[in-house]
Amino acid sequence: MTELVKVMGQEAGNADPVLSVRDLVVKFRLRGRELTALRGLSLDVYRGERLAIVGESGSGKSVLTRTFLGLLESNGRIDSGSILYDGYDLAKFSREREWVKIRGGRIAMVFQDPMTALNPLRTVGGQIREALLLHSRISGAEAKRQAIRLLDDVGIPDAERRYRQYPHEFSGGMRQRAVIAIAAACTPEILICDEPTTALDVTVQAQILELLRRLQSKYGLTVIFITHDLGVVAEIADRVAVMYAGDIVELGSCREIFFDPRHPYTWALLSAMPQFGERGKPLCAIPGTPPDLFADVRGDAFAPRNPQALAVDFQMRPPYFEVSPTHRARTWLLDPRAPELLPPEPVRRLQEAGAKYLLQNRIPDRENRPALHEKQEAPEPRKSFRNFRKEQAAQQSPVLEEAARRLRLGEGAGNALRRSLGGGLGQYG
Amino acid sequence: MSGFTELHFQNRILERRMPDRRPGRTGAGQKQGGLPGKREPARQRRDAAESTVSGRGAAQRRTAGKAEPSAPDELFIPAGGSFAEDGSSGGPGYSYLKSTLRVFFSNRVSAAVLIFLMLLIAFTFLQPLLPGQKSPTEIFINPETGTQYRNVRPNAEFWFGTNSIGQDLWSRLWFGTRISLFIGLCTAAVTAAAGIALGCIWGCARRWDKLFTEIYNVFDNIPYTILRMLLIYILRPGLPAMIFVMSLTGWVGMAKYIRNLILIYRDREFNMASRCLGSSGIRIVLRNLLPQLIPVIMLNTALAIPNAIGSEVFLTYIGLGLPVSVPSLGTLVNEGRSVVLAPAQRYQLFFPALAVSALTIAFYALGNAFADASDPRNHR
Amino acid sequence: MDRIKYCAGRILRAAVTMSIVLSAVFLLLRLLPTEGYFGERTDAISPQVREQVLKELGLRDPWYVQLGAFWSRLLRGDLGKSLVLRRGVDVMEIISSKAAVSFRFGLASLLIEKLAGIPMGVLMARYRGRFFDRLGSGFVLLVSAIPGIVYYLLIQLGGSNLLGIGMLYTRGDIRTCILPLISLSLGGTASTAMWMRRYMADQMNMDYVRLARAKGMTSGQVSFRHVLRNAIIPMAQSLPSSIMFTISGSLYIESLYSIPGMGGLLITAIRRGDNPLVQALVLLYSAMSIAGLLLGDLLMAMLDPRIRLAGEPAG
Repeated sequence: MTELVKVMGQEAGNADPVLSVRDLVVKFRLRGRELTALRGLSLDVYRGERLAIVGESGSGKSVLTRTFLGLLESNGRIDSGSILYDGYDLAKFSREREWVKIRGGRIAMVFQDPMTALNPLRTVGGQIREALLLHSRISGAEAKRQAIRLLDDVGIPDAERRYRQYPHEFSGGMRQRAVIAIAAACTPEILICDEPTTALDVTVQAQILELLRRLQSKYGLTVIFITHDLGVVAEIADRVAVMYAGDIVELGSCREIFFDPRHPYTWALLSAMPQFGERGKPLCAIPGTPPDLFADVRGDAFAPRNPQALAVDFQMRPPYFEVSPTHRARTWLLDPRAPELLPPEPVRRLQEAGAKYLLQNRIPDRENRPALHEKQEAPEPRKSFRNFRKEQAAQQSPVLEEAARRLRLGEGAGNALRRSLGGGLGQYG
Repeated sequence: MSGFTELHFQNRILERRMPDRRPGRTGAGQKQGGLPGKREPARQRRDAAESTVSGRGAAQRRTAGKAEPSAPDELFIPAGGSFAEDGSSGGPGYSYLKSTLRVFFSNRVSAAVLIFLMLLIAFTFLQPLLPGQKSPTEIFINPETGTQYRNVRPNAEFWFGTNSIGQDLWSRLWFGTRISLFIGLCTAAVTAAAGIALGCIWGCARRWDKLFTEIYNVFDNIPYTILRMLLIYILRPGLPAMIFVMSLTGWVGMAKYIRNLILIYRDREFNMASRCLGSSGIRIVLRNLLPQLIPVIMLNTALAIPNAIGSEVFLTYIGLGLPVSVPSLGTLVNEGRSVVLAPAQRYQLFFPALAVSALTIAFYALGNAFADASDPRNHR
Repeated sequence: MDRIKYCAGRILRAAVTMSIVLSAVFLLLRLLPTEGYFGERTDAISPQVREQVLKELGLRDPWYVQLGAFWSRLLRGDLGKSLVLRRGVDVMEIISSKAAVSFRFGLASLLIEKLAGIPMGVLMARYRGRFFDRLGSGFVLLVSAIPGIVYYLLIQLGGSNLLGIGMLYTRGDIRTCILPLISLSLGGTASTAMWMRRYMADQMNMDYVRLARAKGMTSGQVSFRHVLRNAIIPMAQSLPSSIMFTISGSLYIESLYSIPGMGGLLITAIRRGDNPLVQALVLLYSAMSIAGLLLGDLLMAMLDPRIRLAGEPAG
């Protein structure tokens, strides 16, 4: 266990998990029935990393991060499990006095919809100042100065004037910047971004992601992204956790999830990316609906929607299988006794592309890159997906090497992928 | 067939020729013994993972193994044929009306109030048919003295006593309740009908919006009580005038409410979709909008009844109500009030006041309970 | 800038509404029984003389002529003279002497309503679903459901027995104000509490409350610095109307305690058939209603930064 933690920590640039979730079970009472939103979920978050949690609506992504702040809806509760942070078990917190020490100052959050996240009747500046005054002993005037600097910092021009304006005078992107400024004002260690770009225009999305990345390196934040947009994940994440039906079904570094996914759900998710759609063909959609969490989920939660499910998937819940020290997946397909299934076409193309890049460009290993939490002087240029893929390729694990060998890349496959990915994800770059 | 399924059709299930080519596998690989030498590196890594690094996977497996027997080999076959288009059901079915009723009846108080009110209404209308009931307007004469039974306190003969001219309060009270309920129900019905019809036109016909808004402004800017007093004065007091006037001031609020809701619902996606598919305006209103408005309409109607009853009491109090010869709750309260200074005769105020209060509270409580129940936020 | 434009537009709209409403009311009042124009000597007058009087008053003119005359008199501030109640006295004089009494009572009760109702609503919202909330909701339900006359009588009877004070109001005796004030403010307290609770509950569901809590504010801090502030603003909208309508007094309460206020004036005028007084009162109340809404909107424009020119206040 500790060994694993160490290795995974090294992968993320640092050895110790800043936040450890163990066997977390969260239940909700809804219309007289009980719903299990998180089913024994475990996760380590490492210092200074950018972790993305992806999954479709209702998979429990938001519920998971809400538990870190004690902001579950009033009908939800932590049934069992622990959330270890800085010597505390957040799962045991019950009183507001305890939570106030964590919220904001240690773990802060950016919400999905910037249009409603700010109090419409108070000035933006006032709301930032309030956050500053909550977490540091400074005078009001000093807080105002710092708030204006923060506004400037998150890229709001004319900060002095903007400080006195009300939220309705801000555009959506500007409001999200203001929300981020509030989060930053608390000087947290962990920043949770709950779909920070979903409600925004595509062009603004890229700017907000860039801002978050810049702040992360500037303040050495650990960032947890919640999203259902794999494009965002590719753009920003170091590590990806794929959630389905209240559990993490696959967890790995970004390149592992994109170029060597193992769980059928991850396959389905990747195949459903519009970037893989071919002209004239319907987009891939995942058939069926997520399981009824009011009932006990038996076996692999995704099995009923997986046309290739094994018999065992309906009977027993799969354990985690290690793919690499940083990559694990909860599927019986990784059991040696399982038949070998080929992933769907788009995923195969991704695998091929990953392997091909690895063979073509030997770029130094990741250890040589600066650690993530190091302060970077100049803001790094926005990564295009092309760069991203290069980087991904540069970080191929031995797993992928072998996969590449085995797959015997076909000529031209990579080009097709490059075209489709480049076209589709260009909007983020 | 969805794209994903289609994709999977293209895949072939590989036989177990190269099971351990997928690297990094952990778990019960022992049965696969006799691996070709060239795959040694992968195996070594896997072994290493098993003994050291893979603690997570192995540990998880072990705990899983404790809970249930480890996966039998024969289960590792495709579950073929289970191309479940629809996974397991997507959460419990949610029906707005059902949830509303469930929340409503899960509150025992409101269910009790509903039953109480239904019994009360039933009794009110059945009372004159029961045996041994007295006439509400007959003046009773004491056969021994030949004088009227004036201000007789409640006894076995006159259950609620008599009033100052010797009429039976028990039967007068029920008669009055009937009249008041009649006014309330009529007003509520007219208000609802006019409100819905005009509200729908107001909300749907954009051309008429301005005209309606102006009419609404006129009605809304004259205080209702004053408008009611004035109109009744102009029309001369009486039962029809009262119902007409109360409805006239009531529909405005209802229509405005309906109009606002229609404006909110009108541009929702499902109506847009419906309009794109060529449904006519009326069809949209009847099929899509009205069902959404039912709880609101019921709430408003439920609240219109106690309002009308209360207004009747008020109008009678100021002398613009029903003639004294017709017992209504208003006239009864008024009669009772006139003798309030004599403590011995306060029963004449007490019973009508109790009846008015019980009726209005019951309708109010019911309306509010229904409003709470129809709020989807309470459907937990 | 936008705000000034908004206010100007709003005032203009109110002026239009005002002229429409006053004209409508005037025309409606033409339907009043004509007995009300002869004072108390109705029966003594022959039909010919009646027609003569009505003609002299201009009541037999076509409606548009009457309307024009009405407006020209109105703009000169002339609302006519009382015919019955205080014959020959300018109606404005009658009204203003009575309104002062009602105004004092009304203002005091308004103060009580807000001071009691707002904290009550806040507490109900904070302890939603718990004992205090249930207690408060029960109170609100009772007060709004029971017809006023019933509990006014109850307060008058019970109160005067309990406190050992007279049932009627006597000028200068502050103790006799207690019961009328309680009766007057009870309804308003209940509705203030109910609305406050509703606004608070609405605000508590807002996303910004989640953000405020996520920044590390305690729920007390959130309640006071964010929720309460935002919830009180919509209450301000009805304040001007409430203040203005205090002068109309309460018919029930003033007659129960025989307070010489405005409450019974309209009904007395109607009963006695003093048509000029009826007309003046109805016009006055309608004008007050429009002016109250206007002032409420202007107040909101000052308090709520989101008011746009487009008309309705946002959100």
